[in-house]
Amino acid sequence: MNNRAFKLVKRTDGYGINFEAMASPCEVLIDSDDRKLAQKVAQVVTQEVWRIENKYSRYATASLCSQINVSNGRPVAIDNETYLLFNFAKQCYELSDGLFDISSGVLRRVWHFDGSDNIPSADQVNQVLPAVGWERINYSEQQVIVPKGMEIDFGGIGKEYAVDKAISQLSLLTNTPMLVNLGGDLCASAPRRNGQAWQVGIEHPGFINKQEVVVSLFQGALATSGDAKRFLLRKSQRFSHILNAKTGWPVEHAPASITIAAQHCIEAGVLATLAMLKGQQAEAFLEAQEVKHWIVRHSDQ
Amino acid sequence: MLSMMKTVFAVISLVLLGGCAGLGVQPWERDLLAKEEMALTNAIDSSLDDHIYFSKEASSGGKSFGGGGCGCN
Amino acid sequence: MQLEDNGANKVNVKAALSLATCALLGSDSADAQEPLGQSLASPTPWSFDTAVLLYTEADRVSALEAMISANKEFDDEHFLTLKLTIDTLTGASASGAVEQPQVQTFTRPSGNGQYQIAAGTTPLDDTFHDTRVQLNGQWTQPIGKDLAASIGAHLSKEFDYLSLGLNVNVSYDFNLKNTTASAGFSHFKDTFSPIGEIPKPFASMLIGNSDDPTWDNEFADTRLIDEDDKSTTDILLGLTQVINRRMITQFNYSYSMVDGYLTDPFKVLSVLNNQGISQDFVYESRPSERTKHSLFAQSKYHFESTILDVSYRYMWDDWQIKSHTVDTRWRFNLQGSHYIEPHIRFYDQSAAEFYQPFLLHGKTQPAFASADYRIGEMNAYTLGVKYGLGLNNDEKLAFRLEYYSQQPKNSGFEQPVSLADFDLYEGVDAVILQVSYSF
Repeated sequence: MNNRAFKLVKRTDGYGINFEAMASPCEVLIDSDDRKLAQKVAQVVTQEVWRIENKYSRYATASLCSQINVSNGRPVAIDNETYLLFNFAKQCYELSDGLFDISSGVLRRVWHFDGSDNIPSADQVNQVLPAVGWERINYSEQQVIVPKGMEIDFGGIGKEYAVDKAISQLSLLTNTPMLVNLGGDLCASAPRRNGQAWQVGIEHPGFINKQEVVVSLFQGALATSGDAKRFLLRKSQRFSHILNAKTGWPVEHAPASITIAAQHCIEAGVLATLAMLKGQQAEAFLEAQEVKHWIVRHSDQ
Repeated sequence: MLSMMKTVFAVISLVLLGGCAGLGVQPWERDLLAKEEMALTNAIDSSLDDHIYFSKEASSGGKSFGGGGCGCN
Repeated sequence: MQLEDNGANKVNVKAALSLATCALLGSDSADAQEPLGQSLASPTPWSFDTAVLLYTEADRVSALEAMISANKEFDDEHFLTLKLTIDTLTGASASGAVEQPQVQTFTRPSGNGQYQIAAGTTPLDDTFHDTRVQLNGQWTQPIGKDLAASIGAHLSKEFDYLSLGLNVNVSYDFNLKNTTASAGFSHFKDTFSPIGEIPKPFASMLIGNSDDPTWDNEFADTRLIDEDDKSTTDILLGLTQVINRRMITQFNYSYSMVDGYLTDPFKVLSVLNNQGISQDFVYESRPSERTKHSLFAQSKYHFESTILDVSYRYMWDDWQIKSHTVDTRWRFNLQGSHYIEPHIRFYDQSAAEFYQPFLLHGKTQPAFASADYRIGEMNAYTLGVKYGLGLNNDEKLAFRLEYYSQQPKNSGFEQPVSLADFDLYEGVDAVILQVSYSF
């Protein structure tokens, strides 16, 4: 299944592992000079991350996610892991008052965030909007029923979930300090052996002035929402790629990027998305929630 | 005879294939296999059956330990 | 819009999300701030399987067997099973002697008293009754990634029989747990102290007046020793393979080595003259070793709403017994949690090399001989049906009714003319009724 490979790199401060997953460059830093351990870590992490990708990617036709999306309203059997993910998605839906909805992916049929001015018409949006609605998805511990025409998409939580699962798999293997970084969503298992923080650069590829924030992280997770390449511009009005699942339209005045620190990566990721959905109020929301955060706004905002 | 040999060969190939990755399912495809009724052994029925057939026939075990355990044969 | 509620939502979102994350990542999130340990690992309660089985042969043995099995999972994948089985057996079983045109008199195995068998009927010994208590314990746990070990003990006690056993099994999962290889070892030590002691091989059954003062001494002359034992060592190698989402298959090879007293002290052979008239009854004698091999294959296939279970076993041993067993169950799920499962089993065995239905007077005595039909040529079939349903709270109830029929066969022995009208290979029919309840 996986003929994909990883690369093991000796660094001055331990070992690094590089691989590709979920369409992103991924990296694991291991605070140890034990090559065998690094190799084992590489196996464990890639196995887990690729497993989650193969199971929940909407792009892989053999994935469970794709099976669900072509089920045409027929029940699809699910396992406990998927059941727990649905529970989590349900809580996100409730916490966001319906704005965070894993069934909102169908909106991409009319919204193409390619930097152009290709804004869909209200009619086009209204045509797909009825296919959005988590509350019409029926699931139990055994099965899920997604009504015909609807789709689900774990894209909003999958990568962050994979970071957390990789960290917990590694914790069974060793307590050597490690940092798992899947395309900018990351988690450190413990401070470095010398008691220092991990220095993490949060990149925002595509920014005109290529801003980079270096964050010191002892332990815990960082997740970023926002991608400068994914927006639409019309008459100098910027449309962010964060869509309001209720209206089908982009959230107004959403920041270019939000990075959140939290104990778990999936927590950080959801908080970042929730803050994005607050638009103009993103900073106020995060201040009020007393969450450690970094917000970048476009110069035109 | 030739067709029997073929069958035997097919069965043996299947056994040898057993260790290969060609057969099997992904963890999330275990919905049917995970059912209790797909378990290979029903512990209650087979222990009662084993006791009956152990005491009435010359064969025992095969599926699990044949064992001793009773003065019935 | 949704933007004005920051104040009201304060702390709520973060705390709620934190809880949701814990639920998602579960107790394996070792990096959580609070130690999760005890509070989340709620112990699973004991579960129980119980069953009562009634086995009734027409005019012969009947047995009542009750079983309770208690199962518990400790930690993750540490299982304990404790099982208690009690059964009682009453009725008559074939003594090995052949049917005669005249009344026959036999001495009871204890030496106390005699009984008579009418002309033209298969001699049955009706002194056969016993109560057996059996205890089993089995502990299974992981012993590393993909490896599990299981260890068990067995004790079974009857009035005249004691059996002690130990078993060890190791299994290894690989190929995404689609393949499991296992190896097991078991050893049993059985001690038999039959009432009336163990008879000498080929000693003649003493017939006469058991109130005679010389009786006890003469009877003791036919006896060898008060008890004897046998040991059984089994090795079982298995491979379980998931074929696809609907199908799973298992292959086993087992090797069994039995050593010790393998004779049935209650069984005799008739010694017939040229006319086929019984002259004597002698106690049977079997070799003191038996090595058995068996190959077993089983497949289960899940159709849309039915499950087919087919297995086959081929057994062969150094007593020259070969047997084939085919067992098929087909489960039909009905509405709700009800199901019905028909069952068909075929069994066919060849005779042990020392099996003979009788001895002939004046012929050389063989080294070993037994007229026990259970090691003679025979075939048998079972037809059954099981009906089950789920009750509240994971409780399950099932009823099973089976019909078991044995047809012993003549494996080429010439039947004396005077016995031509008799069925020396009388069939045995039994009905099995079982009720099981799990909670």
